[in-house]
Amino acid sequence: MFAAASLADVLPAVESSASFNFAGSDTLAAQLRAGAKADVYAAASSTYPEQLLAEGLLEEPRVFATNRLVLIVPRANPAGIEVVTDLVRPGIRLVLGAEGVPVGDYAREALERLEATRALENVVSEEDSVSGVVAKVALGDADAGFVYATDVKPVEDEVAVIELPSSAQPEIRYLIAVVAGADHPDEARAFVERVLSDEGRRALSAAGFGLP
Amino acid sequence: MRRLFDVSLGLATALLLAFLVLPLVAIFTRLSPLELFAQLGDPVAVDALLVSLETSLVAHAFILLVGTPAAYLLATRRFRGRPLVLTLIELPLVLPPAVAGIALLSAFGASGLLGGALDVLGVSVALTPAAVVLAVVLVASPFYVRQAVASFEAVDRNLLDASRTLGVGPFTTFRRVALPLAGRGLGAGSTLAFARGLGEFGATIMFAGSIQGRTQTLPLAIYAQLGRDFDVALAVGALLVLVSLVVLLVAKLVPSWSDFTSIWPFRSVRSASS
Repeated sequence: MFAAASLADVLPAVESSASFNFAGSDTLAAQLRAGAKADVYAAASSTYPEQLLAEGLLEEPRVFATNRLVLIVPRANPAGIEVVTDLVRPGIRLVLGAEGVPVGDYAREALERLEATRALENVVSEEDSVSGVVAKVALGDADAGFVYATDVKPVEDEVAVIELPSSAQPEIRYLIAVVAGADHPDEARAFVERVLSDEGRRALSAAGFGLP
Repeated sequence: MRRLFDVSLGLATALLLAFLVLPLVAIFTRLSPLELFAQLGDPVAVDALLVSLETSLVAHAFILLVGTPAAYLLATRRFRGRPLVLTLIELPLVLPPAVAGIALLSAFGASGLLGGALDVLGVSVALTPAAVVLAVVLVASPFYVRQAVASFEAVDRNLLDASRTLGVGPFTTFRRVALPLAGRGLGAGSTLAFARGLGEFGATIMFAGSIQGRTQTLPLAIYAQLGRDFDVALAVGALLVLVSLVVLLVAKLVPSWSDFTSIWPFRSVRSASS
């Protein structure tokens, strides 16, 4: 199973016997293009599944979850960030997903909607997946970072959450699909069905995901 | 029987060589050399090259400046705990880079061992170019120091003693006798350490982050471009293969070159005694 890093806590709960490769959705897409063997691809964006579908590398992808983008700051909040637009203040150390990494693209979209793209000058690291952003803020090495709402739970003691105004909230949809030519197509389809089943929905909901 | 043995040795060597070389050759097969070269003009590649050169040079200066005297001490003095010190210095050689990364975060990160003290001074190291330098020093210095200790140990002790009995001070003896005689080995160690530093990835991405033109070194650029522009990633990879090749050749050639050009007067003494 190739799955977005933000799914690392929930998918193994749905199917513990599968083996997972969690990484940025873009990295996984690049690995699939390079011929990596996988049975299922679950991405934190619709962009890559749709591209891979067009390239004949995936079967029809289906939406199985939604998410929200939030801003996290270290609990001590050394930079005193109260609202998202505070990020434009000079000297703030902001961490984003890199361009092309869904969580990074969503963050840029949100900053654009808030007309706060000046904050991009404060970026001190572009991470290759959401887990990198979470770690850097939770350890206090960055003042703020954009992550998915579902990433907060494991670090809720270390970070504080700042919600985005609804006008700035990007639409975040998770797509799942069986990889074309999968070695285990039956198990792969069964896994997708299980993620889409009531059981899967309960697990996703418990982990804080929205449901389609 | 002997023939069969030789053939098996040959086969094993061919297999090993094919396995080691094939992936490197593959980097150069997707695009023509001209296309690869053109991709290196991409701003991401140019910025990464500059970041890599800057951070590697600073780190390397530090490694030479601190590592050389330390190696001299370890080579010429015998003291309790010396084996322990040698082992500790060599530890990063076998340490997984990810461990180096999390170790640096634990030491110098905001919530790390020295984070509070650094914070008082208004310094935050993580996610800055300084963090790249620290990561490179940590992983690359053992390559130099290990080789430097061996090179200083190989210097004939009698020559150092002779210099001292002739009334030359310890520093001058170090500079005029030990350093030139160990020069070949120091050069080789220095080259290897530089190459290792240039290729540093794991500790850097964890401790320094990745931002174009600031902390994104060549290996980090390959990783960042993998999903975005595979050709640029490939071109940077090709560049690093060539650099590694040059480094290795230099490390192998410099010693023989210095054999011819060295006019060090002690050479005749040494060859006579050996």
